[in-house]
Amino acid sequence: MSLRPLAPRADFPLLAANPGLHYLDSAATSQKPAAMLDALRHFYETANANPHRGAYALSALATDAYHDARATIARFVGVADADCLIFTRGTTESMNLVASSWGGVHVGPGDEIVVSALEHHANFVPWQQLALRNGATLRIVELTPTQTIDLDMLRDMIGARTKIVAITHVSNAVGSITPLQEVVRIVRSRSAAVIVVDGAQAVPHLAVNFDALDLDFYAFSGHKLLGPMGIGVLVGRRTLLEAMPPYQFGGDMIEWVRDTDSTWNVLPHKFEAGTPNAADAVALAAAVRYLEGLDMARVRSHEIALLEAAEASVRALPGVTVYGPPPAQRSGVLSFSLADVHPHDLATILDQHGVCIRAGHHCAQPLMRRLGVSATARASFYVYSDGSDVDALVGALTAAQQLFATVD
Amino acid sequence: MSPVSVVAPVSASIAAMYQDALLAHHRAPHNRRVIEAPSASGARKNPVCGDEITVMVSLVGDVVRDVAFTGRSCSIATASASMMTDAVRGLTISESLALADAVDRMLHAAGGSAGSSEAGAEPLPDPLTPLRGVAPFPGRHGCAMLPWQALREALRAPAGNR
Repeated sequence: MSLRPLAPRADFPLLAANPGLHYLDSAATSQKPAAMLDALRHFYETANANPHRGAYALSALATDAYHDARATIARFVGVADADCLIFTRGTTESMNLVASSWGGVHVGPGDEIVVSALEHHANFVPWQQLALRNGATLRIVELTPTQTIDLDMLRDMIGARTKIVAITHVSNAVGSITPLQEVVRIVRSRSAAVIVVDGAQAVPHLAVNFDALDLDFYAFSGHKLLGPMGIGVLVGRRTLLEAMPPYQFGGDMIEWVRDTDSTWNVLPHKFEAGTPNAADAVALAAAVRYLEGLDMARVRSHEIALLEAAEASVRALPGVTVYGPPPAQRSGVLSFSLADVHPHDLATILDQHGVCIRAGHHCAQPLMRRLGVSATARASFYVYSDGSDVDALVGALTAAQQLFATVD
Repeated sequence: MSPVSVVAPVSASIAAMYQDALLAHHRAPHNRRVIEAPSASGARKNPVCGDEITVMVSLVGDVVRDVAFTGRSCSIATASASMMTDAVRGLTISESLALADAVDRMLHAAGGSAGSSEAGAEPLPDPLTPLRGVAPFPGRHGCAMLPWQALREALRAPAGNR
């Protein structure tokens, strides 16, 4: 197997220091390039001050670094109006922000919120709880036999009562890519619903253009695309963000604070209360520049090649079930189960071979129930993955099967 | 061995025992059956992987006369449940609960940098010896403890619990 990595392992200190490690859990979190780590350190060593608040040159440096980072990331995901790109802690916080701030005001008794059966808990539980709190109905679009969203069912479900449609761009559990243009067409033609998209697994792997997709909200997490933990993004349509109440209150998001009431700052500050996580935003921008250097089209073709190779080898094992659609409709992950080996046992044995996979429900319990399993094994690939990772995975799976083979 | 593993090393003999005994219990678990009309029962689910174990107990006075389990689980939880039923039969309620605590201590002690502490050297009944092999794998402690937690639930419940 001679599939090369797209990004050299040498660029990733943890991987370089652990040559025997086969890290196949990038969907959980990605490994970090030195370029990103250097940018993080560089900020603290040369430009560290509280952005917006100081009147001295260093503060101006910090402010510029923070907003340059915003501009870089906005460009990466096709957002022309960069002040509509809000920094959050991650996809989970972004979804909770929309549910609380937009949903809290606009969703009431008789309204409907539509989600899919693929959703990660971060794009399922906030809407479920919003519906319960505000007396609305949660409706769930079911899946095709290859675990893609059933567009016919979606079509039937959308109507005048639909206030929110929350959908994943790429499933973290089984990798299905949602045809967003089609979804938008269906929703817009039948309702005035806002469309909220979970892009956590999409932005690392696919070229995303928010403005071209005509979405209302789009969220993703920095740590999945070579960035640090603790920083993520919510992109929103300006008219919606300006009309909705703030999510958190405090410094920076205010304009005037009187004893009895306060007024709000403009975008993006209105939704960025408190000292921003400027350092991680700067580091995320460095990660984005690293990915741009690789070229997202090549990121996608590299991962398709790995997914095809991995799926072919895994399918050749006896008693295997592979979940999700074919590689052309899938991104990032290969989710599977072996008949005689519980996913948890699989992960432990693979660990002893230096192979890191994820075994569990992948924060998608509604999906697991529909698959009829409590857990699956999931291997995920990223820019530093290569053919030797696929070989190690299959070798370790074979060893696990031999260990657990039932002897009559 | 994983290059980034920071777990305590397991001696070759324990590792081997873990493998053979674990697999034996996994392939042919002891007392995986239903007790009709048990004196008490408890069930626990592991939210991480969805495994579930139900433990049923028949008591005569405060002595565990019979114990069995059902459920769907990984090899470690199944094997632990199987060994548990061997170890607990014939013990009193308080002895059984004390044994659950001892297993808990054994699992969590071996992760320390000091190696085996007193809890690591604490004796366990023979049927439970293979569980020591799970101690170096913190990610699997929950699996090994699942049946014991179900047992605790059964034995701490008031008489007549189902």
